[in-house]
Amino acid sequence: MDRRHLLKAAGAALLVPVLAEAQQAPPGSPPGPPPTAIPPGESPNAGPGRVTAFLRIGADGRVTVLTPILEMGQGTHTAHAQIVADELGVPLSAVTVEVAQPEGPFRYTPVNEQYAGASWGVRLIQPRLRRAAAQARAVLVEAAAQRLGVPAGSLTLAEGRITHAASGRSLAVGEVAEAAAALPLPEQPRLQPAAERRLVGQPVPRLDVPAKTRGAAVFGQDVRLPGMLQAVAKLSPAHGAAMAGFDAAPARAVRGVVDVVPLGTRGVAVVATDTWAALKGAEAVVIRVEAALRAAARVVDATYEVPALAHAPLETDNCTVRIQGDAAEAWAPTQHQDWVRAAVAKGAGVAPEKVRVHTTFAGGAFGRRLMVEVAEQAAMVARAVGRPVKLTWPREEEFAQGYYRPAHACRLRAALDAQGKLTGLWFRSAGQSVMGDYRPGFMARGPAILDPFALQAVTDTPYRFGAFRSEWVRTEGPAKSWLWRSVGGSQNAFFLECFLDEVAAATGQDPYALRRALLAHDPRRLRVLQTAAETSGWGTPAPAGRHRGIAFCEIYDSPVAQVAEVSVERGTLRVHRVTVAIDCGEVVNPGQVTAQMEGSVAWGLSAALHEAVTLREGRTEQRNFDAYPILRMEEAPVVETHILTTPGVPVGGVGEPGVPPVAPAVANAIFAATGKRLRSLPLLQHDLRA
Amino acid sequence: MIELVVNGEARRLDLDPDMPLLWALRDHLGLTGTKYGCGIAQCGACTVHLDGAAARACQLRLGDLAGKRITTIEGLHPAGDHKVQRAWVAQQVPQCGFCQSGQIMGAAALLAATPKPSDAEIDAAMAGHLCRCGTYQRVRAAIHAAAQG
Ligand code: FES
Ligand code: FES
Repeated sequence: MDRRHLLKAAGAALLVPVLAEAQQAPPGSPPGPPPTAIPPGESPNAGPGRVTAFLRIGADGRVTVLTPILEMGQGTHTAHAQIVADELGVPLSAVTVEVAQPEGPFRYTPVNEQYAGASWGVRLIQPRLRRAAAQARAVLVEAAAQRLGVPAGSLTLAEGRITHAASGRSLAVGEVAEAAAALPLPEQPRLQPAAERRLVGQPVPRLDVPAKTRGAAVFGQDVRLPGMLQAVAKLSPAHGAAMAGFDAAPARAVRGVVDVVPLGTRGVAVVATDTWAALKGAEAVVIRVEAALRAAARVVDATYEVPALAHAPLETDNCTVRIQGDAAEAWAPTQHQDWVRAAVAKGAGVAPEKVRVHTTFAGGAFGRRLMVEVAEQAAMVARAVGRPVKLTWPREEEFAQGYYRPAHACRLRAALDAQGKLTGLWFRSAGQSVMGDYRPGFMARGPAILDPFALQAVTDTPYRFGAFRSEWVRTEGPAKSWLWRSVGGSQNAFFLECFLDEVAAATGQDPYALRRALLAHDPRRLRVLQTAAETSGWGTPAPAGRHRGIAFCEIYDSPVAQVAEVSVERGTLRVHRVTVAIDCGEVVNPGQVTAQMEGSVAWGLSAALHEAVTLREGRTEQRNFDAYPILRMEEAPVVETHILTTPGVPVGGVGEPGVPPVAPAVANAIFAATGKRLRSLPLLQHDLRA
Repeated sequence: MIELVVNGEARRLDLDPDMPLLWALRDHLGLTGTKYGCGIAQCGACTVHLDGAAARACQLRLGDLAGKRITTIEGLHPAGDHKVQRAWVAQQVPQCGFCQSGQIMGAAALLAATPKPSDAEIDAAMAGHLCRCGTYQRVRAAIHAAAQG
């Protein structure tokens, strides 16, 4: 019997994903900041001058910010450094940012895990860092006051020096850091007023960019340890099918191959003195697979459809593990330090408290690096061969092993009054549950649990439709589903925003005017929509041969509107320009917001034009970039970004909210150009000739 | 034994002649700036210079490289201050950075052969460089900037 659950939501208030996640499970905002004080007992982040849990200040005045967030290209570490330098009163050049070992202050409630997701790298961490830096500032000043024998109130801390203006005496922060670390932290430290900030709000250059132009940044794949062996995975090629056996002899015959280590029933790792030998060995190994395969559920009756998608970060997944006695160390480009710790502990057969997790730079993440299977596998191999091992998934495994943005289908219906005004909307989508694989326990709590990602950007849309019903039908499939940059927003904005365009066309309305009316009650969102329309020249003639499409979406507290300008000539589509307006609340680094909008448009456009994962006999058909093309240089449009701020609105997400409007803006522009309504992705599968 | 010149230094490698240069650089010479992204000439992350021209290290057989001059990102400029690297910093091109060694090596080879490339020439030369983070607009701007300065 198939397990389908029909879930109904009467209105937007019931199922706001972020809120639901926070109340019931991840990944959401914790109710309040966790302690910034160092937890009692032995800390895995211990070090001299650890003034608060988040900050270490060396005798040389160097400030190390400890953060739960990895640097995966989103620029978060630079934003963290800006925040701390401003609040503490030190130069930016004195600050370095390091991903913390998993520990209490870096974990989120209620799940009690340290990880990165939901575009929270700045919005969630900023209040904690500000508070920690303000506390550090207070105890540094207090320690200096004791040293100089003057009242703390007579001292100022700026540019890394604590100065007693009356006597002209001063101390560097490094000189009092150790003394300050012994002082109790104030509960309510004084935060710097906005007027005092020199760095927050400025387009400060990225701290990691110079190393990344010299090949010097160390990604997971670049980790090298003395005596280390290289391993590559060769896994069962069929989704949901266990390995029944394997023949290692041909691999062992390859020069340089040291061992072939089984990875449970998932497959094997071929271990060698270098990666080339391991790759050749993996090619030679024969894996036998269980026969029975489940077929994918077919969903019929759909109006709109989107396919499964792969993350395809340019750095394939990997982990390096060293086991010494009852302890282990892992180097991983991971979004989830606690899960890596647990996975390595399991694979290495040691206690989780005995595992140190070193988070490296990640060559892209996009949700993919919340998967930690490779970490357990690396530990299994290191344990089996008794040497440090780096295990890499080759590109072919990266594509083949699933964890996709799940395919979805969606049917929509609109009710209109005699004047063509929208009086009601019905949205019904079907697809696999992301939560079902990401956090199975969440979906297993009952028979009809709504995956909070399934109707993301639908139940919580700021549009007012009149009567509004949204439903999601859970389907099953053989490949695993996973969080993929912008998660549910990635498909739902395509469904909803294209459909609104259809409503506009059917009623003879301008697509922008129709959306304006739906947001008339909400000045903040309206301003975002209006900015995109006006700066793109909406309502004025487009350059010859070009046509415009508009779309709007809000996820993670940042409304985004986009206008795409396209041409279709003799069936060839070209996206020339995308105008983006975003209101992400307070802005820490406008340069990074702009960069993220450019990257989000490229990401969204890549999926909209090209990307699809398809299965045949339970196996993924696309194994490399030749069969899974992604956006290329010559297809990249000009992206023009307008950043809006609303006073009093806290920092919103930036890494993901730019993605959802891309596909519908482009599809709507194609309709304007050709009169063809494309209801499925990828767009380039359709014939656009007249 | 294969003898070749890497970043100006003569190197002797006793390795499988079928091994792609990529793995010799990364695993045996410790030059990890050259990246593995696909292994089949589809992504450009492994781009190096072979006698001054851009080439995919995942496709170069060690056995064919005797006497050749190889330059990797680490050897592009002694202080990492090549005009392309400077332009990359000025335009803040990298996001995750994983594709950028290859992009920079591709751009440097393009500019060496075509000092003032047009947009179409940039497209043609850089089409084989994938960037999953979508930095294309800045790559283009940085190539133009490097061509100016
Ligand atoms: S690794 Fe050589 S082109 Fe991708
Ligand atoms: S910067 Fe991440 S792949 Fe290009």
